[in-house]
Amino acid sequence: MRETLDMMDFVYAAYAICLIGTLALTVWSFATMRAAEKRREESRRK
Amino acid sequence: MHGYANPARFLKIARWFTMPLLVGGLIVTAAALIWGWMSSPPDRLMGDSVKILFVHLPAAWLGMGGWTAIAIASLVELVWRHPLAAISARAVAVPGAVFAFLCLASGSIWGRPTWGTWWVWDGRLTSMLVLLFLYLGYIALTNALAREGSSSRIAAIFGLVGAINVPIINRSVVWWNSLHQPPSITMGNSAIDPVYLYPLLACVLGFSLLFGGVVFARMRAILADAQAEARLRRKAQKAELAQATPGDA
Amino acid sequence: MTDSATKGLKPKHQRLVLLSLALVALIGAGLLAAWALRNQASYFYLPSEIISEAPAPDQGVRLGGMVEMGSIAEQPDGTTIRFIVEDGTAEVPVSFTGIAPALFVEGSGVVAEGKMGADGVFVADNLLAKHDENYMPKELEGMTREQVRQQVKATLE
Repeated sequence: MRETLDMMDFVYAAYAICLIGTLALTVWSFATMRAAEKRREESRRK
Repeated sequence: MHGYANPARFLKIARWFTMPLLVGGLIVTAAALIWGWMSSPPDRLMGDSVKILFVHLPAAWLGMGGWTAIAIASLVELVWRHPLAAISARAVAVPGAVFAFLCLASGSIWGRPTWGTWWVWDGRLTSMLVLLFLYLGYIALTNALAREGSSSRIAAIFGLVGAINVPIINRSVVWWNSLHQPPSITMGNSAIDPVYLYPLLACVLGFSLLFGGVVFARMRAILADAQAEARLRRKAQKAELAQATPGDA
Repeated sequence: MTDSATKGLKPKHQRLVLLSLALVALIGAGLLAAWALRNQASYFYLPSEIISEAPAPDQGVRLGGMVEMGSIAEQPDGTTIRFIVEDGTAEVPVSFTGIAPALFVEGSGVVAEGKMGADGVFVADNLLAKHDENYMPKELEGMTREQVRQQVKATLE
């Protein structure tokens, strides 16, 4: 007896994890950069 | 080389590069993934699951490439005492860890329908998991050192010592019998049919651009954090001094 | 390294030399350890290894190799299969009861977990399929890699 799994289910799962992970990394790195640079400007003004 | 040691000069370049790399990386990655998705026929054995290759392999390469970059930056830091080296090593750690994790996660999901198991403790999978733990340890260490304001030399040594794992990951499938297959792409040779290979290389390019953009953004964040903190500390000291000697103020 | 050897060097170069030496020693040690581990770290035994150093009858081992062409035979009970695992020099018959993974086919790699029976038949309680490094669409099946390369070259030119 051989296993019959729908390969596409696994493809969707792998893509979902990788896309969410990559996008989250991009957004997080951009947001933390903006926040840090804003904080630096504020410290300069005060 | 020390021309770029000046953060102001580096920031000028980084400001110019960050957005094009992030946006360009997203566009190239999206286009390459769509290309691969549309054009790849089912593999002779793996069927449709071959599509996972387009996310799995770039993640694996970037996970390993990330630590290679950390090792090089650590060497530069220890030998030349280049001030930006420590910052760039720190900036690579988080994206490197994320891609090492995505490699393990997508590989696990790929293993279930093909090999028949989510996980095995063979040389390749184990050494890749070790890489993820090394990243997590490195991130914890660099954060702790930065918080205490201590020298990052210990982190640099950790970065160099941990680099020994990278060739082990690479060679694990050659040295030891493993469930994971041997390398498909070796110097100038590919066992991957061109119908998969070209979109795959485009995916590698896209993810690499994105990786570069994230590293630049991280470097800017770390630099800005350090500068803001230093400025606030100076101000606090000045205020303390003024309080201690009211007459002089 | 003696003092006189490093005395003339700038501190920068001294650090570089010392670090390079440390790095070489470290990589050497790491590779040596990996080399020493080469048997223990292997995930499975090849048929020739299992035959030359037969494991104890009740010891759980993994056997890995290629499924011999035309060797998969379904048994009358419907859930048991028998096949031969070979590595080019030796072969071991395997019996397995259960559900085989999708990629378990003749001429492809397999890793069987189980015990070596007294009759020389390896009794597997779990099968894992091992993929090789080739990625090839279904239409190109049966062609050798050289043929594929030539066809691709022809279409590109």
